[in-house]
Amino acid sequence: MSRIATLEGALRRANRLVALILGVALVATVLFVLIDVIGRKTGWGSLGGSDEISGYVMAAVASWGLACALLDRAHVRIDLIRQRLAAPGQALMDLFAMIVTNGVVLLIAYYCWPVLQKTLERGSRANTPLETPLWIPQGIWFGGWAWFAFSATALSLIAIAYLVQGRRSELAASIGLGSELEQ
Amino acid sequence: MIWTVAVSLLGLMSLSIPVGIVLFILGIGVGELFSMFPLLRGLGQVVWSSSSSSTLIAIPLFVLLGEILVRGGVAARTYGALDKWLSWLPGGLIHANIATATMFSATSGSSVATAATVATVAMPQADRLNYDPKLFSGAIAAGGTLGILIPPSINLIVYGFLTETSIPQLFSAGLLPGLLMALAFVIVTALICVARPKLGGPSRSFSWGERARSLVQLVPIIILFVVVIGSIYAGWATPTESAAIGVVIAALIAMTLGTGLGLATIAEALHGTIRISAMIMLVITGAYFLNFAMTSAGLGRQLTDLLQNTGLPPIGTLLLVVLLYLILGFFIETLSLMVATIPIIVPIIAELGYDKVWFGVLMIVLIEMALITPPVGLNLFVVQGARSKGSMNDVILGVIPYVLVMLAMIALLIAAPGLALWLPSIL
Repeated sequence: MSRIATLEGALRRANRLVALILGVALVATVLFVLIDVIGRKTGWGSLGGSDEISGYVMAAVASWGLACALLDRAHVRIDLIRQRLAAPGQALMDLFAMIVTNGVVLLIAYYCWPVLQKTLERGSRANTPLETPLWIPQGIWFGGWAWFAFSATALSLIAIAYLVQGRRSELAASIGLGSELEQ
Repeated sequence: MIWTVAVSLLGLMSLSIPVGIVLFILGIGVGELFSMFPLLRGLGQVVWSSSSSSTLIAIPLFVLLGEILVRGGVAARTYGALDKWLSWLPGGLIHANIATATMFSATSGSSVATAATVATVAMPQADRLNYDPKLFSGAIAAGGTLGILIPPSINLIVYGFLTETSIPQLFSAGLLPGLLMALAFVIVTALICVARPKLGGPSRSFSWGERARSLVQLVPIIILFVVVIGSIYAGWATPTESAAIGVVIAALIAMTLGTGLGLATIAEALHGTIRISAMIMLVITGAYFLNFAMTSAGLGRQLTDLLQNTGLPPIGTLLLVVLLYLILGFFIETLSLMVATIPIIVPIIAELGYDKVWFGVLMIVLIEMALITPPVGLNLFVVQGARSKGSMNDVILGVIPYVLVMLAMIALLIAAPGLALWLPSIL
């Protein structure tokens, strides 16, 4: 295994772990929501806040999960022109799409920071009975976008390295078009 | 602005840039070119507020529910049970294909996973019993599409979220058209097989005793469906809460009636859930930002101008929109097609005075067709992938009757909006 492949493997394993942690958080949310519903229906009283907490879990899934989906090549791409090209053309389109994605993700992550920054400056709390200090969920959420930006950049560099070395099949396996059949 | 956005949307997507990223680029572009305010500064806030939503968490929960059912091996046994109930009809097992696909995609909310699972279970039977591969595989591909219309449907949740339409109302609006279409699939199959018996396989009868015993497999899934949907309709659970209840019931079903849930299976299901949900969320967040950018840049006024200038009556514009979806559906995958067009199309439809709940159902039928029309019909590929031989053309020919049923349904929905709107009105 080359050094690049080792790096790619590490990135993949890290994201697999992230996905598992998010999955466990999701299961915890299921139980929390369930206890809330049962409590409300039986009149034992509800814990309250399951709505708010599940929103925060959603934000975590919708930020940290993005890099997992990227590594699994699960983000939807339209294959209309690409599928008509020969392998070198496909590799170039894949790399182009990857770099554009990388740029946009860096930009989004950059503009996500002020949201957390303002919360930290003002010490904002959620306008709910829980009065959650917002830096906690927003910190996790921003971390997810930062991780997405990092993973995308790392993957772009890995892909460029594969291209330079002419290892086209590794390139396709890292940033090519994923198919739902493989999942 | 509307035309610029529409053309760049198609252009950027055809470059095979991920659809979610394309939507963000367009949103940023609209903000820079057409808006007087610096919208980019609001980007972070829009991303945060659109993703930290307790409505949307119903999506990963329904995905998880489906993953558990599919990976827990429930499908094969359901298929066997439905075979006993439906194989006496002309067309035999094909009806079991349709019914299993309908039942599974309805409860799991995922068309593609359903088509893949049912195809894997059903295909070996087709060879053994000498079925014509065309109609047999076409029925699986088409049956799998029904799940995005029959609630709980992830696509309807996405539509409701992006258009600010009530999700329980959308769910009740989708129920009748969805069931009606499943029924129409069965009837059309039977008619075809009466006219051309060679296309179907042998009709087989099972005793009532066998049927009764097979209910053990069917009843729990029906209970799952009734609890998930009933709790929403009865108003005692939100879609998110009913999804959480559904996950637990699905896990129980997989443990008792399926092949069981080991740790490895659970890990796979969780990983799959995160992968699919994150993919959906990137597209939704992008669409939400584009929506925000276009509204801030004065979409409303432009729409009014556009509609006044076309000189078409509302029904003319509506038919134009339908035509547009039919054409785009050949090339763009379902969820992308839906999410990318909502910011442009739904305001037009609402401006014309059409009901947004009704249009949601119509749009879902239109994108269902996109799932099974070549060259980019995902379900076609999935079913073909599960077949070990033959060409893709078999599947494409096999779905034609079902595409015609869908076209009829679209016409029916336009002629009689009450088909979708009656149930929400009495609940």
